Amino acid sequence: MTAVHNNCLCGSNARNERVRTAQTQRKVGFFTDTTVCIGCKACEVACKQWNQLPDDGLLFSGMSYDNTVHLGASTWRHVAFVERPMVENTKFSWLLMSDVCKHCRTAACLDACPTGSIIRTEFDTVFVQPDICNGCGYCVSACPFGVIDRREDDGRAWKCTLCYDRLDAGMTPACAKACPTESIQFGDIDELRARAADRVRELHQAGVTDAYLYGDSREAQPGTDGLNAFFLLLDRPEVYNLPPHPVAPRKTIARSWRSMAAASVALAVTAVVSVLGRK
Amino acid sequence: MSDVTYYDVPVLKAPVWKWFIPAYFVAGGIAGASSTLGAAARDLPGLRRRCRRLSLVALSVGTAALIADLGRPSRFANMLRVFRPTSPMSMGSWLLAAYGPAAGAAAVLPDKIADPAGIVAGIAGLPLTGYTGVLTAATAVPAWQEAGRSLPVLFTASGIAGAASLLALGDHNDQEAAVLRRFGIAGKVGELAASAALEREVGAVPAVARPYKEGRSALLWRLAHGCTTISLLLSLPRKRARRREQAGALAGIAGSFLVKVAVMEAGKASADDPRATFHLQRARNSDSLDNR
Repeated sequence: MTAVHNNCLCGSNARNERVRTAQTQRKVGFFTDTTVCIGCKACEVACKQWNQLPDDGLLFSGMSYDNTVHLGASTWRHVAFVERPMVENTKFSWLLMSDVCKHCRTAACLDACPTGSIIRTEFDTVFVQPDICNGCGYCVSACPFGVIDRREDDGRAWKCTLCYDRLDAGMTPACAKACPTESIQFGDIDELRARAADRVRELHQAGVTDAYLYGDSREAQPGTDGLNAFFLLLDRPEVYNLPPHPVAPRKTIARSWRSMAAASVALAVTAVVSVLGRK
Repeated sequence: MSDVTYYDVPVLKAPVWKWFIPAYFVAGGIAGASSTLGAAARDLPGLRRRCRRLSLVALSVGTAALIADLGRPSRFANMLRVFRPTSPMSMGSWLLAAYGPAAGAAAVLPDKIADPAGIVAGIAGLPLTGYTGVLTAATAVPAWQEAGRSLPVLFTASGIAGAASLLALGDHNDQEAAVLRRFGIAGKVGELAASAALEREVGAVPAVARPYKEGRSALLWRLAHGCTTISLLLSLPRKRARRREQAGALAGIAGSFLVKVAVMEAGKASADDPRATFHLQRARNSDSLDNR
């Protein structure tokens, strides 16, 4: 591990943090290494608190320790608790993952937004401007990850901002700051990718051959052109409730426009023929 | 195919749209098709006038429904803040902005202005009738996304059938009735054919096709086709009979409305089913489970 990496554990070292963020002002993101997640939900709490998100009610889901269930308009970090059948001596093994908005490089929500409320920021993250959003709900249906949602009492769409306000101030996003195991790593996206590749190599060498990266590059996930918040997983994406091959609608929509054009021609012909063909 | 999910929790968020949006899909389709017929009916002043009036009424109802569905209706005008070709909703907003004034002018202003405005509305009405099919397909919802080719055709045909049926409710001379009959038959046949095409298009992956085969959405889907079929049969005889025409018109309106409601419900059911998304994406990439 590098010195920069270790800074995540020194909570009060604001100077180093500022230096680090200054170096990485362009393209930032999250690398969530699920192998070291302990399911403490500090990320969920820190996110709620920093972003002053409304509560989701006191729900008992019956799904292991997961009472948050899914990302949503007021839940921008969500820890999944997967109980897998396991080998001798144990009833099951844990898979834990802190899920978050992926800040896709080709973002379906941004593509869909008719008001320009959803923008790509100077940090290469995807941000919903609450003063613009008119709550049309199109982004909700467009997101292939089921991340963004409309808040019913408020009428607008909300999702993770990657702590845009904190980034502006040179700070680490609240969830990454609160993570006690560095499962959530924040930083320059290229640096995170290199670090993630190293981590996979390390795990493979240690015998954890199931480890792989989800959405770390354009090649790994052509449907989104890669994610600025990507993950290291130990099982198929479905196990964590992630889509195996998400595709931004813009990639397939040309056929629908062509189809509409053909239907429009047919409508025009039908109208003219109906009028001319009468007796 | 593996059937693993995360406690059956939906991977997608279900569309948040209330019934206003299918209502807009119906009204917008009727407005567009009616404007097009109005522009084509150059030598039938009575029919032309009724087409233009229907367009304006449908447009007003549709726009009101659109605004009512917004989480922040007062910010409706933000729809015209940007021009975003990747968003069919943005394109639709601009289309409405172009179509609306033309359709309004064609309906209420004197002929000198109404006639050219009617032509503009007729041309803008073409994409207005079917773009909502593109809008629906351009989502992550499997039952919509997979129907990317058939949905725009289905929505256009449904618009034609709806407009022809609504117009047929009124009084017409024999010539006008013959025009409406032909226009309506084309729309209804198109609606049934596009529905069959849609079922084929989504049929490759059973989990994607399910909402069109099982449950509430499938019931609405079949009911729509039943209504449209009855309407089609009633409109086949050339001989005029007022009662039969009106019964056929009512069935046609019901069919054209229900088919869009059914598509909306199918989308909600599809988004709620994580298997639809998982199976579709695995099938598309035809990869083994090892190949993540």
